[in-house]
Amino acid sequence: MSQRWHQPVGWLFLLPLILLGPTWLATGRAEEQPIDQQAQRLLAARCSVCHSTDLVLQQRLPRDRWEATVDKMVHWGAHLDKEEATLLTSYLATYFHQDAGPVVALPAAPSVQAGRESGATPAPGGVAARGAALYKQNCLPCHGEAGSGGVGPKLARNPILAQADRFRMTVSQGRGAMPPWGSVLRPQEIADIHAWLNALRD
Amino acid sequence: MRNHEGPDITRRRLLAGAAGSLAFALMGGRLRSSAEAAEPEPGAPATDQPLITHVARPLDAETPPQVFTQYLTPNDQFFIRSHFGPPAPESVAPAVWRLHVAGLVERPLSLSLNDLSQFDEVSVTAVVQCSGNGRAFHRPKAPGVQWEKGAVGNARWTGVRLRDVLQRAGLKDQARHLQLQGADRPVVASVPLFTRSIPLEKALHPDTILATRMNGAPLPLLHGSPLRLITPGWMADSCVKWLTDLTVQEEEAGGYYMQTAYRYPSRPVKPGEVIAPQDLKPVEVMVVKSVIASPQQGAILAGGAAMVRGVAWSGEGRIVKVEVSTDEGKTWEQASLVGEDVPYAWRQWQFLWRTRGSGRRTIWSRATDDRGQVQPMTSAWNPGGFLWNGVDRVQVQVREA
Ligand code: HEC
Ligand code: HEC
Repeated sequence: MSQRWHQPVGWLFLLPLILLGPTWLATGRAEEQPIDQQAQRLLAARCSVCHSTDLVLQQRLPRDRWEATVDKMVHWGAHLDKEEATLLTSYLATYFHQDAGPVVALPAAPSVQAGRESGATPAPGGVAARGAALYKQNCLPCHGEAGSGGVGPKLARNPILAQADRFRMTVSQGRGAMPPWGSVLRPQEIADIHAWLNALRD
Repeated sequence: MRNHEGPDITRRRLLAGAAGSLAFALMGGRLRSSAEAAEPEPGAPATDQPLITHVARPLDAETPPQVFTQYLTPNDQFFIRSHFGPPAPESVAPAVWRLHVAGLVERPLSLSLNDLSQFDEVSVTAVVQCSGNGRAFHRPKAPGVQWEKGAVGNARWTGVRLRDVLQRAGLKDQARHLQLQGADRPVVASVPLFTRSIPLEKALHPDTILATRMNGAPLPLLHGSPLRLITPGWMADSCVKWLTDLTVQEEEAGGYYMQTAYRYPSRPVKPGEVIAPQDLKPVEVMVVKSVIASPQQGAILAGGAAMVRGVAWSGEGRIVKVEVSTDEGKTWEQASLVGEDVPYAWRQWQFLWRTRGSGRRTIWSRATDDRGQVQPMTSAWNPGGFLWNGVDRVQVQVREA
């Protein structure tokens, strides 16, 4: 009895989170991630649309020049809101300042990130409703609105969608100009994006 | 395109971190520091070195200095500077490509490659150098691609005189500037186009050419095929690639790449200082400069004698002297100028160095031109990090004789 009672309550409790999925994921996830990692993720997802990020990491600039540079990029079309721009600028000004050495090893991410893509666990089933926001945040700059294509290939109705494993491996390991997402997105999140893409019609 | 991609300690160290794979992707695969980049690829002859990639996409890659032991820089070792990367090859294929001449002209033109070939053919051997060559040496660092020594090359360019084409179109009285537009496009349409202009005097100069060939071969796509402007003596920001549109105007071109980027202060400035727009002029003529091609940075030399070789050039002047110092500038000795002495091309030089003793030694070089310009120890700082021409320096190790 008590078990039966618990389950519905649990679900009811989760319901708002599912309904508010996109916002919850965007903010909740962000706060859970260390700030340097959030910044690295923004760099990979938003700054490599027009040029590879080596152009960014070879600079050694004072904070005001970083601010001006990030502003210029946003003006030209980099997808960053105010908060993200501040976060990224602060990261760049901290590690890529004028006296930084020739090669800056990016600070190691905490161990929660390690072994995410172990391959040992079976691929989870995706939830399309959660995939929309994740797609928008991470993939849209390169793959376009509704997977229509851009710097990266069109993903809507892409044959790779029929092969869930290949999709997951490609996304988590990266390919060519596409960064690897394995240390950034959980297998569940990749599956959610997959489910959302699968539901698209052209 | 050949890039440095060999595994090295830096890469291993980065990969050891949990964020390693992401970091590696962020670095675009190029994890060599500038010092490592100048080291030769094992087994390859000194002149057959791959380009050093600074930006993987769109490609920005420089020539290792040891390639400059050759007078002409081979096409596949010539530095590559891309704003957006080359246009799709189909869009500039001979069947569809046209050069449009419009604006303040009597007769607007639309010329095919075949139409262009009807003009007199001319060739010029000229240095083409990125305005940001040597940016990495400015202190404090200036934003932009961190070019070291090799965003420069010397090639034989063949094509037709720009002047002949403009005369065919007929210039109106108000004509003062020529706007240049190539076929390359940014991946996101909100990014400004690479639109440039040159003053009419330069456009009408008989040595300014529309080139279709580079070192005798058809212009490679990465170097502007089918048509690239060559403005001998001027920095390469005017040498627009994949040219499709010439527009004769009264004013300079507008837009980011002419009005904001590629500008240089007309008075000395301090880092961080606010500079009024009227004090910033377009980067044009090259400054006097020399580079040491051999021995290469970090080389280990047998004691006794070593031949130091390099190249020197100056935008509109002639190189009259190159000096070498092996005691960090206390004394300078003259190198001999060798090879061809041609306007706009670089001059080769060599210096027989009698090494005394053993250990670490530095070699410095500095050039002087016939206008009295001397290569300075360091170049004036400027916000764009342009026109670096500080004395070139190489450190080597001399073994016991
Ligand atoms: C919409 C396209 C676009 C996006 C997205 C973009 N950039 Fe750029 N970026 C450019 C262009 C164009 C240039 C100039 C390239 C050139 O002239 O060669 C540039 C140049 C740069 C430079 C070199 C310095 C300079 O001012 O030219 C830096 C540093 C840079 N970008 C950082 C970033 C960062 C950080 C991001 C992410 C917030 C970013 N970019 C995202 C288009 C973009
Ligand atoms: C910085 C730009 C960029 C971002 C951001 C990006 N991609 Fe890609 N993606 C690419 C490029 C470029 C390719 C093509 C790679 C290649 O084959 O060389 C690609 C390829 C792919 C492919 C393979 C398609 C095929 O036809 O085989 C998939 C699947 C994919 N991306 C999914 C994603 C997902 C999911 C995201 C978000 C988590 C994402 N990408 C984010 C640039 C990007």
